[in-house]
Amino acid sequence: MSHDAYNLGRIERWMQTVIMHPAGVQQGIASEDARRHLDITTDEIEKVITRSNALTADERLAIYSRAYHGRLLECLRAEFPVLLHALGGELFDRFAFDYLEQHPSETYTLARLGEKFPRYLAETRPDRDAVQDSRESWPDFIIDLATLEREFSEVFDGPGVEGQPLDVESELMEALRSAPWSEVRLVAVPCLRLLTFRYPVNAYFAAVRKKGNPDLPERASTFLAVTRRNYNVFLYDLSQQQYELLSALIAGESVAQAISLAAKSTPSDGVMPAANVRESLHNWATLNFFSAIRKPLELAGC
Amino acid sequence: MTSSRFALPNLGFGVGLRSLHFSYILEDHPEVDWFEIISENFMDSGGRPRFVLEQIAERYPIVMHGVSLSIGSTDPLNFEYLKKLKRLADDIAAVWVSDHLCWTGVAGLNAHDLLPIPLNEATLAHVVERIRTVQDILERPLVLENPSTYVGFTDSTLSEWEFISRMANEADCGLLLDVNNVYVSSVNHDFDPVEYIESVPHERIVQFHLAGYTDCGTHLIDTHDGHVTGPVWNLYAHARKLTAGVSTLLEWDANIPEFPVLQAEVFKARNYIGAELPDAKLAASPIGADDHTISPMPHPLHFMVPSAE
Repeated sequence: MSHDAYNLGRIERWMQTVIMHPAGVQQGIASEDARRHLDITTDEIEKVITRSNALTADERLAIYSRAYHGRLLECLRAEFPVLLHALGGELFDRFAFDYLEQHPSETYTLARLGEKFPRYLAETRPDRDAVQDSRESWPDFIIDLATLEREFSEVFDGPGVEGQPLDVESELMEALRSAPWSEVRLVAVPCLRLLTFRYPVNAYFAAVRKKGNPDLPERASTFLAVTRRNYNVFLYDLSQQQYELLSALIAGESVAQAISLAAKSTPSDGVMPAANVRESLHNWATLNFFSAIRKPLELAGC
Repeated sequence: MTSSRFALPNLGFGVGLRSLHFSYILEDHPEVDWFEIISENFMDSGGRPRFVLEQIAERYPIVMHGVSLSIGSTDPLNFEYLKKLKRLADDIAAVWVSDHLCWTGVAGLNAHDLLPIPLNEATLAHVVERIRTVQDILERPLVLENPSTYVGFTDSTLSEWEFISRMANEADCGLLLDVNNVYVSSVNHDFDPVEYIESVPHERIVQFHLAGYTDCGTHLIDTHDGHVTGPVWNLYAHARKLTAGVSTLLEWDANIPEFPVLQAEVFKARNYIGAELPDAKLAASPIGADDHTISPMPHPLHFMVPSAE
């Protein structure tokens, strides 16, 4: 050592800044951020990093720079395979590379690396400042697809109800027969997610996951329930009215209030007939959308 | 031959548990002595990965191997992370918990890489203090692995084997000797791998790692993407003789083959128990670039990809 040792914290901050720099090691060393930690030029890199018999100091540092970007791009490609298919590798990598620059990982787990990617795509869409009607439609498809893939990942490895007895079906049917619907409330399983999209991304997602090569779909509002049973993720298309009904139920509304809210949200469909409500609730109960029924006595805290 | 300082068992020959092999392992119960998991892939899992792990843990011993402890970082230790690490170790009765002598990020970020630190008195004191804290929280010895590295620091005043030896003795922790990493780093830093292996405290070695590397002509990259090479087997044979016989694990994280290939590879290690080292100095076989069209990735991290049913 020909000088006083650099403080470890300064070296680490400098090295991290350099290897994460999107333009590579040379630009990283020269960057203002890096020079705030260690004020050295690219010619002075051997003040910090030694050369080997075969490689210069910056060539050695570049191994970490390539690895940082390559590894995390690979992880995002693995988490968003359908989006990768839709965009193609080059465009996907460009979006992902920019995303990593704006949102470097802040957690110990790679499982959260892509959690802000859908929102990032929405916030950085090229026509984000245009009025709604003059926006291009393809970004909507891309954002919807990214959202679905992220939700899929979260449901896949998030909390579930496997191993718990879920015998809500008969109890629910009995409650719908014998209790006022204004007093019947349901508790959703923690893995149930309700999603709304501008494109029918479910069918596209399913086709690509089965190694298909579907055409890009036509724009159409779609509503989806995502849940998990026996550690498998399932996706179910819903009508808008079913989506509204289920959303209200999940929010804690009674069946009667949920029907009313769904009718207000979908005025052209009118009030959902009781038989349809009963059938939908029965189906959802058999699909384990609910973990419990909250009865009036329980609500009163008795 | 030296007996292990820790009362940790020799588990035999194991492989890294990867999601690609989940179904095969559950259905066929392949003959392998134990599995090593990437801790972070299971710490927060509420889905199939954790469910599968619990089933495998009923049949095989499990060791936890982390990649985000960041023991060399100057950021504060993440106590929430450590709490989850301990909870998982308790839940699955992990035989021991390991990580790397490295830092993975600073200033609140995580590069998800095993980055080297300068090796000197100040960094040694820093790491030793943090290991002690971690061991207090985990209530068990921490086992630390020598990483493969690609840069050295002007500020280093200790060799890696001196640093690791003093670190292990002062912090009273275990060592996971990655023989492949010793070899990769020996080429990248121009040192003698035999001197390294002969110098570390053998009684503190709890486990060996074996893996494949990629030869880039001017340097080696620890890619975990192929068979263990001859020089690494020779080093392993030598290291084996210096210990009382400790657990051996094969890592394979890219271009992962079917399970029987891993199984056959790790059991090759049996052929090297008690074997003579052909070349005491292990003058590394001449290094010549492998055929590769894209930049090889150092120590790839196994990412748990959701499987569609």
